[in-house]
Amino acid sequence: MKGLELHNGEEMKLIRLAQKGDKRAFTRLVKKYEDVVFRFSVKVCRDGEKAEEAFQDTFVNVFKKLKQFDGKSKFTTWLYKIVANNCLMKRRRSKLDQASVPLETPEGFREEPLRDSDGRVIQTVPSWKSTPLDRVMNAELRRILDKAIEKLPPEYRAVFVLRDVEEQSAEETAKILSLSVPAVKSRLHRARAFLREQLHPYMKA
Amino acid sequence: MTTKLIRIRNCADVAAHICENLDYKLNSRKCREIKKHIARCANCTAYLDSMKKTVKLYHLVPNPRVPSSARAKLYKVLKLAK
Ligand SMILES: [Zn+2]
Repeated sequence: MKGLELHNGEEMKLIRLAQKGDKRAFTRLVKKYEDVVFRFSVKVCRDGEKAEEAFQDTFVNVFKKLKQFDGKSKFTTWLYKIVANNCLMKRRRSKLDQASVPLETPEGFREEPLRDSDGRVIQTVPSWKSTPLDRVMNAELRRILDKAIEKLPPEYRAVFVLRDVEEQSAEETAKILSLSVPAVKSRLHRARAFLREQLHPYMKA
Repeated sequence: MTTKLIRIRNCADVAAHICENLDYKLNSRKCREIKKHIARCANCTAYLDSMKKTVKLYHLVPNPRVPSSARAKLYKVLKLAK
């Protein structure tokens, strides 16, 4: 959430006004965060219809619960938490989502590397293309990226999106998803490694 | 953050810790050891590079914007002025 620092005075003033029922202040808050909420809903819920539902529900929840926001946490943390609940809540109990992501060993990976007679490491993990990424990006890769993230269980997806796309810290991510910091770190590791494996056949040089 | 003594012995240890901070801006002892290993290991260099590229590729996916119909519905439900 770059460029949207929240604990500055102006932001807090806006929240205080909205908490007292100032409709214009509330509207400004909605305008400021509608893209953030929608983007996160789409990336975590995936399904377009569910994402729109989560978007609506989130702002209705914000409207109803804004008085409970005490300013002790960042406003964005509080907001992301509501979106995440709307996207994940209904699914949390399903057994499918408890499944963890398989952490496959990368192609050519060895705990101890092979060495030549001079003791130099022999490369067994294939390098990826060195083509600039914006030139690699095309419709096919877009589809592969999309399929890969689709395959991640929602709670891993949420960690990946919060940490690597929304650029939230491990601590904020833990608060948003009610996880411990080590759980966030291990899920992030698994999610990234899984996505990397999915892209590897396409990206290796 | 407390500095834990974590031994970086081989590629598996590097792979296990590579994800915490892909840029290794932190100058902790663990990060220095990881950097030292990566500098000498073609496999970990390739692995770290592919991890960074994975994240960067996701940054290239365009962000969705709120559809005007969804916005209109929300403003109506909350009785907000446009
Ligand atoms: Zn290595």
